[in-house]
Amino acid sequence: MSRQFDLNDDSLVVIIGSGAGGGTLANELAQKGIRSVVLEAGKRFTMEDIENDEWGMFNKISWLDQRNLVGPSRLAEDFPNLPAWIVKGVGGSTIHWAGVAMRFQEHEFKMKTLNGEIAGANVEDWPLSLEDLEPYYALAEKKMGVCGTEATGMPFHGKSTHYQVIEAGANRVGARCEQAHLAINTVPFDGRAPCQVTGFCMQGCRFGAKWSTMYTEIPKAEATGNVEVRPNCMALKIEHDRDGKATGVLYADADGEVQFQKARIVAVAANSIESPRLLLNSASSLFPDGLANSSGQVGKNYMTHVTGGSYAEFDHPVHMERSTVVPGIVTEWEDNDPSRGHVGGYELEALHLGLPFMAAFLDPGAANGWGRQFARSMENYSRMAGFWICGEDLALESNRITLHPTKKDQYGLPVPVVHKADHDNDTRMRNHAYRMSRELFSAIGARHVNDLPPYPASHNMGTNRMHAKAQDGVVNQWGQSHDIDNLFISDGSQFTSSGTENPTLTIVALTIRQAEYIAERMTRGEL
Amino acid sequence: MTASPRVTLSRRRFLTLTGALTAGSLAMSAAGLWPRWALAEPDLASRLLRLGRDIYPHEAIEDRHYLESLTPLLEKERDEIAAGLNDLDRRARAAHGSDYAGIESGAERETLLRKIQHTPFFAKVKGNLMMGIYNNPALWPEFGYGGSSWEQGGYLHRGFDATPDWL
Repeated sequence: MSRQFDLNDDSLVVIIGSGAGGGTLANELAQKGIRSVVLEAGKRFTMEDIENDEWGMFNKISWLDQRNLVGPSRLAEDFPNLPAWIVKGVGGSTIHWAGVAMRFQEHEFKMKTLNGEIAGANVEDWPLSLEDLEPYYALAEKKMGVCGTEATGMPFHGKSTHYQVIEAGANRVGARCEQAHLAINTVPFDGRAPCQVTGFCMQGCRFGAKWSTMYTEIPKAEATGNVEVRPNCMALKIEHDRDGKATGVLYADADGEVQFQKARIVAVAANSIESPRLLLNSASSLFPDGLANSSGQVGKNYMTHVTGGSYAEFDHPVHMERSTVVPGIVTEWEDNDPSRGHVGGYELEALHLGLPFMAAFLDPGAANGWGRQFARSMENYSRMAGFWICGEDLALESNRITLHPTKKDQYGLPVPVVHKADHDNDTRMRNHAYRMSRELFSAIGARHVNDLPPYPASHNMGTNRMHAKAQDGVVNQWGQSHDIDNLFISDGSQFTSSGTENPTLTIVALTIRQAEYIAERMTRGEL
Repeated sequence: MTASPRVTLSRRRFLTLTGALTAGSLAMSAAGLWPRWALAEPDLASRLLRLGRDIYPHEAIEDRHYLESLTPLLEKERDEIAAGLNDLDRRARAAHGSDYAGIESGAERETLLRKIQHTPFFAKVKGNLMMGIYNNPALWPEFGYGGSSWEQGGYLHRGFDATPDWL
């Protein structure tokens, strides 16, 4: 159980969100003796709540508060109210993630230096390098139990049938392919069981083999006596004093009562739609454009990865669902090679959907996904293998989170409006990925290959980005706001660029580094 | 093709018949476990069945699964659904001189449906069928989908790494 702290205790770090960023930050600080309150908008789930049921879990754990998605994209047509597929609950989206834990590549921290100005985009270099982050990547891998890494020595999962099919295709076309580095135990580790291969990683791991702050960082943090987690508490506004220093967080508690929790430091880790939304909703006479927004970059540069799917139908059984969700990755095109017609790289991540979600995402949208061809493909479900495409998404100022001028949510806050459109580079990359996938599958006898359009984004990044210069970014290399010393961003919204890798490992590495920085500064009396 | 039920009860007449025994015996003998609303309005049910089987054409799936998928919709919005079907029949008569179900070619029926795929009527019918057909554990074996596996200890010791002999 959580310890309880007083609302007037102004010695605390108040952390908003309990996922990869917030949950990790709470535990890292707690282990150093620093006390915090975690405000989590969602409820606390138990292991018994976790079912192998795609729609059941979607309805149970997803963040389904009202949001508008606009922009010239099929995603906006198909899912006008669901830009992102993320979780509302203690543990955040680490309940849902597939466990893919890859480090960024060196060049991905320097996309501007590498490629120069890209017309129509707002690409910048990170204020840190791979070298800076490497020790923290190792700590993150150890904490999370990432298989196939030096940090853990944990073996890979072994090649599932789905992986073997993909690997055969990759070998045939000469593409590099490897088993996935997953933060999913392959041996008993950290008091958690090894993977039993239920095939339902993204519905929450029933056995707890996959790292999730829900049952790792959060209970460990609580056990120190230094952390109070408050579920069902929605942050409404960050308050500040006359000098512009954050003083605490106004929130709606489980009973809908508005409370104010005082704070020494505020850390925002509510994912890349809610985090900038909270800063924008915290506008005041001193900060009329929103908190920490002197750069004007809060809410801008919203990145989701360039995504899509490629699912091939064969004459023979595959049973792709009898596997970890992501058993392996074709990494051949993860580098930055503009000769392909696009900058940045992409991964082809072997990934299965269950039958219910295949029906929903094969050709999504209210008017699509039916008829004889569709039904034939569905009848081939057990003979399918496929990829989820995950590629570098360029930052665009026009891809952004804004506040709806009139529509309000259940807390009376303006509904977030998410504008997302492809840059030409994104479109070219996606088409390249479709083409390479088709070649790979055709090389091993695919009868039919389905190109799937993007579905709601689980990787959301960039809306409070890091930058060396205060006029070009919201936070510095430690996630500390350029404008307000005791305000931190602790989630993927810090990312300067998206990289091609799934973001969770990088969020955790940045958070471990941030906790160290906060502790040092507190010790020196600077925070 | 699926057999049309030879039930000629009017809706009103059916509703005067009460009790599970009556409904049950009808279901068993005439219509193969059709849901209650379908037995009450067999004409409406047959037309919806044609539509449903064109949206998700799966020979191996029994009629009742299509009809049961639509039960919540029929309970809530029976008149809107009937109006949608009437509209579809009007379009069919204009284009082919016959009701929708009377158009023999599946391809022609699909072409006609493409013209109404953006209507709320179509979206509702399709949405309910999608859940009833593809999110229905009773039908998963038809598709070779295993569904929930944790109760059986997942696939770790049940062939997750089987070698595909066809490669």
